[in-house]
Amino acid sequence: MTSTSFLALGGLVKHFGATKALDSADLALSAGSVHALVGENGAGKSTLIKTLSGLYQPDAGTIRLDGADIAIDGPRAAEALGFRFIHQELNLVPHFDAVGNAWIGRHHPRRGPFIDRRAMRAKVAEVAARIAPDLPLDRPAARLTPGQRQMAEIVRALMEPCRLVVMDEPTSSLSEGEAERLHAIVRQLSAEGCAVLFISHRLDEVLDLCDSYTVLRNGRTVGFGAVADTSRAGLVAMMSGAGSGNAATPHPPAAPSTSPDGRGEKPVLATDLAFGPGDSRFTFQARPGEIVGLYGLVGSGRSSLLKTIWGATPGRGLIAINGQVPRQGPAGRIKAGVAYVPEDRRREGLANSLSIERNLSLAHLSDFRAFASLPVPARSKIRQFAKATGARLRLVAAGPDRSPATLSGGNQQKLLFGRWLGRPIRVLLVDEPTRGVDVGAKTEIHGEMRRIAADGAAILMATSDIEELLTLSTRVLVLHAGRLVAELDGPSLTRAAVVAAAFGHAPDEQWLPSERSA
Amino acid sequence: MILLRRYGTLLALALIVLVFTIASPNAFGSMSNLVNITQQMALLAIVAIGATLVMVLGEFDLSVSAVVSWAGIAAAALFAAGIAVPIVMIVVLVSAVAMGAISGFLVARYKVPSFIATLAFGTVIGGLTFWVSNGATLFSGIPAGFRDLGRGTLAGVPVPTLWLIGVAVVFWLLLDQTEFGRRLYAIGGNREAACLVGLPVRRDMVVAFALCAALAGLAGLLLTARLGSAHPTGGGGYLLQAYAAVFLGMTAFREGEPSVPGTLVGAAIIAVVSNGLTILGVPSFLQDLLTGAIILAAVLVRNFGRDEAAA
Repeated sequence: MTSTSFLALGGLVKHFGATKALDSADLALSAGSVHALVGENGAGKSTLIKTLSGLYQPDAGTIRLDGADIAIDGPRAAEALGFRFIHQELNLVPHFDAVGNAWIGRHHPRRGPFIDRRAMRAKVAEVAARIAPDLPLDRPAARLTPGQRQMAEIVRALMEPCRLVVMDEPTSSLSEGEAERLHAIVRQLSAEGCAVLFISHRLDEVLDLCDSYTVLRNGRTVGFGAVADTSRAGLVAMMSGAGSGNAATPHPPAAPSTSPDGRGEKPVLATDLAFGPGDSRFTFQARPGEIVGLYGLVGSGRSSLLKTIWGATPGRGLIAINGQVPRQGPAGRIKAGVAYVPEDRRREGLANSLSIERNLSLAHLSDFRAFASLPVPARSKIRQFAKATGARLRLVAAGPDRSPATLSGGNQQKLLFGRWLGRPIRVLLVDEPTRGVDVGAKTEIHGEMRRIAADGAAILMATSDIEELLTLSTRVLVLHAGRLVAELDGPSLTRAAVVAAAFGHAPDEQWLPSERSA
Repeated sequence: MILLRRYGTLLALALIVLVFTIASPNAFGSMSNLVNITQQMALLAIVAIGATLVMVLGEFDLSVSAVVSWAGIAAAALFAAGIAVPIVMIVVLVSAVAMGAISGFLVARYKVPSFIATLAFGTVIGGLTFWVSNGATLFSGIPAGFRDLGRGTLAGVPVPTLWLIGVAVVFWLLLDQTEFGRRLYAIGGNREAACLVGLPVRRDMVVAFALCAALAGLAGLLLTARLGSAHPTGGGGYLLQAYAAVFLGMTAFREGEPSVPGTLVGAAIIAVVSNGLTILGVPSFLQDLLTGAIILAAVLVRNFGRDEAAA
């Protein structure tokens, strides 16, 4: 594939602080090919694209276009090279119609000093006629369907001749019919000689649409070739790394702690929610002492599911804590003994204008009253709690009266757990327990989670870190496109099985016996 | 309902005019009073058109009234020093543009929230204005030739109305018919996208703030010309009314975006209500109450419509 490639990325490295987002990533594209870029969450796909679009500069490695080394120093440079990007979160101006959006950032046709709306529309209509004749050109983007917005983006990309169109998860928000339309457009682009770099979590789509592929894992290219020479199972194996060392990474569970005394216990958390597309059901139960992992690719609905159980976003269906339906909203959940550690500690977790100890006291403010009948918190009680909690979590802080902004990521994360330790926890909902946290703190947080579980709580943990998932979970639920597609435990809980389910693929029939084998 | 949402504000203006005309056919409904209303709304509308420009970006300029006062006082002080009219006007307008550019620079370059940047900088301008004027009303040495720029009629049309027409046409063309205007709307609509396609976001923001201040400066000059005097807080009333006009205007057309025609409708509503109620002899506190209620009603009607459209 190298012989015909017009664009080749070689050995790209990109650091963000201590994390290596790209670690020797290679990619080669030939003209008119439809090339799939696949990998798990955090494999480096987005970083690679942003490097290609000039938003990031690589720390090492080369970008070769038509045999010459180039540097792409900004979005304009990428545009001038004929590269077009259709980002996952679409970049349309909501109140502009398709015509207005197509012309943003370009020299508008003019009559005298004024823009020539007729010429603008004519040019866009010409492009649209070729690929999306039914796109309404005069409706503001805000009132287009997701599929039509996608078309508007593509029309914008094709306003001038281009050599490469990069599409990041273009079909993730599209209906089946709209996705078909998009596929037809991709094929047409390719027939016209434009290369398409197609990033998708839908392996069916990849196998169906693309001619070649590159697999990234941990920022490194671990596989590439012609799609005809591979299979779903082959791609999954490369993405998860299970194929390479023949090790199916046997799950090293900390002994299913459910069995000793938990077996007979009643579930402390039970849900029967209408969730995701077509109101598919999310039904599951968790018993005291269990750590249930919730895995799924970005956009699979993990976080919104946790927020629904937490009561922060309204949901339909039933949630029972300890056999009882909690009252509405987070306040009702807290009363029932539920705790929640959100995904984004800076935005959703910490109040940086308050001190560390005040942050710790936030969840149960009424426990710190100086007099039971007066809603006035007593400093001494808060300080006492902060001291005890800090010691328990080994919180490293300059002082309890400093801002949490002065803490390291790991200590900020501990703070969010510490907030709930003042009362017995029955159910703990955790979204990304250790994202962006150093290894030492990670181990400590994992230890704390095990302790909380051992104290009789059921933990529901969403994570995109598959190591973490396999280390902590006694049972794993996998979401794919908003649906609960697999429940894995015991021997069926392997890395390969989790990844396969997350990509909507059944590697063997053991957990979905009814599916017919092709 | 869709009709009401799309054109509700225009209908409201028509209704208000109709009601006042019926209530007071001879005083309110007379041609001369209607012409008079355009004169009364002229300065407010000019300031509001400037505010519209900044609102298109999704930002606020809360220093407009301070710039109006500054321009009036600066002009009067320069006249008192015996400087010629054209030079005074140029110097004052340039100073206003510089003030707007500084606000815009603070917002665009240093990402100071525009609300805070312009509130603070507006306070600075206010202090400067008091300093120059010593806190007094200035009225000596204002030439009659200058005063004619803000009063009287030309071919039967009040001079302030002519200014308003000129400003409205120029800025409508600028916002609606030029690439610059499209860029402002694009930046306001999706700044991320505007940056990604390499628009000169910072420069455009500075220019928009500068133009906003220029219009406030022009309004200050015209105010001093009309009154024949300048008071250091002479522009104080324009801030809230200008934004009320912009917000009312946003409910008038299209997708709820600020626009020059919309702002004109908004300013007209405010002027008509005030004029009509005064003619009917309604006490001024009731006028404020009604104006506020109309603004709330307009925004509420639009939001109700939105919810239904979303559901």
